Amino acid sequence: MADASRQPVAPGTPPNPPDMSRRGFLAKGGVAVAGLSALAAAFSPLRHLAPEDLPSLEDFLQKHYKEMTPADKDRALARIRGQVRRRHRVEVRVTDPPPLDGVEFVYGLNISRCIGCRRCVHACVQENNLSRSPEIQYIRVLEMEKGSIDVESSDHHYASAQVPRPDKWYMPVQCHQCANPPCVKVCPVEATWQEPDGLVVIDYDWCIGCRYCEAACPYWARRFNFAEPQLPEGSINPNVSYLSNRPRPKGVMEKCTFCLHRTRVGRLPACLEVCPTGSRKFGNVLDPNSEVHYILKHKRVYVLKEDVGTLPRFFYYFDERGSRYAEPPGPARPQEAS
Amino acid sequence: MKLRQSRWVPIALLAWGGVLLLNPLPYVSELPAATVVPAWATDPTPVRQPKGVPAYSVAGFTYGCNDCHAIIPSPAETDRTLVQHTEIRLRHGLNTRCFNCHHRTDREAWVDDFGEPIPWADPPRLCGKCHGPVYRDWQAGSHGRTNGSWDPARGTQTRRKCIECHDPHTPPFPPLEPAPGPNTFRMGPQESQDEGPARNPLRVDALPRRETRGD
Repeated sequence: MADASRQPVAPGTPPNPPDMSRRGFLAKGGVAVAGLSALAAAFSPLRHLAPEDLPSLEDFLQKHYKEMTPADKDRALARIRGQVRRRHRVEVRVTDPPPLDGVEFVYGLNISRCIGCRRCVHACVQENNLSRSPEIQYIRVLEMEKGSIDVESSDHHYASAQVPRPDKWYMPVQCHQCANPPCVKVCPVEATWQEPDGLVVIDYDWCIGCRYCEAACPYWARRFNFAEPQLPEGSINPNVSYLSNRPRPKGVMEKCTFCLHRTRVGRLPACLEVCPTGSRKFGNVLDPNSEVHYILKHKRVYVLKEDVGTLPRFFYYFDERGSRYAEPPGPARPQEAS
Repeated sequence: MKLRQSRWVPIALLAWGGVLLLNPLPYVSELPAATVVPAWATDPTPVRQPKGVPAYSVAGFTYGCNDCHAIIPSPAETDRTLVQHTEIRLRHGLNTRCFNCHHRTDREAWVDDFGEPIPWADPPRLCGKCHGPVYRDWQAGSHGRTNGSWDPARGTQTRRKCIECHDPHTPPFPPLEPAPGPNTFRMGPQESQDEGPARNPLRVDALPRRETRGD
């Protein structure tokens, strides 16, 4: 072959004749089949799409939430209502409550009183229409040794018969609604922002699912819908709002919004209402008569990961003499087997 | 020969591409079954529902406290075993006397520091006799349950009273069964690593003898 290539080329023949050898054909054919296969495999999930999975023209042309006129918003709310009806066969009331004037929401959590019973976790799941499978939960309750805040060695899978376990304490973690939110800074499409009342919200129709915000959050407060959220029949909370708990599609981020659809009309968040110990406190920090104002003024307050400079609106606080668990801790007591 | 090969090979390749596009055996991600959450896990009812009226039920009958106690004088209180109300177990720390809380003559009221009655419907004032800091926190809202609205001006707000969480005769908050934890299907079953008291800086006595950690 090497000799042949050096032979003078006859006039009239192309300078590089096509390689018609069996070897060359198989090599090119192999590349072609690999490419075709990859292309086909990449396109094949499209065949499994249901008609409602594809965005309608209205979806596609919808503006960013902040650029919508009231008429645009009404159309978007009606569209969401129709989507939920088609997909989940439920009539919901879609609202978009605006932020209240002179209100900045702040959360307080008494870690001297929390017993780690996880009722807040499940009340939140129910209230906010979170996916049951794959499971999404906004609140994570960490179990730690008393006397230390060692988040790294904490355990959120604890499953003892009863809580609190002796020598343990519990720290529920959820979105801290930071005043300096790293998740908002990293969003490449401005699908998440901070509202005037301090809540960090997501426009689920604008999110592209890049998960940068999940990586940026130091509290692991943001969750991604890896699959179509599964909501059992009859379990959908019909009181939904555009920015908080309307059923989410696959492939977008979601997060705790302090139950915006409840709190912006004066009600307390679901996690607080269910807490049997009264460890959770919520209110308007700008109101000098509010519970949270009193807590920030008079209580010893702990800010989780204060050093990262996120300025959270979620404060852990302590009581003067610690908690009164049913079993007083003491070094002489034998270890609980659980 | 060459011509025939150049025909059937592209046809075979296109057919194979078509098979892949049809995707007869699609890969479907495995999803775990949803965790069964019991109804009590989302029930906002307080842990105790005190009757709220001074009444005592025995043998199917319900009496007002003063039905008996207006007639039968209470003996001077000693450490003796109770002969009535034997179901009451008083485990309230140093507070081991009935008349520290119950009024000596009007049994349908509590007693304040000066021997005057406190109405039955107002137990926080009674508890505040000893639990000053907690009473102050409860009044300000940093202790105790609140339901309804976060601002009394914007809706009804229910402040739960002491005895809706604490049994006055055994006051510490009762241990509860925890609701199901997070599903760890994706990462496989997780063993919670309980290192026991070794990580507890408050329990130096339980630490095994070892060198101080270098970090």
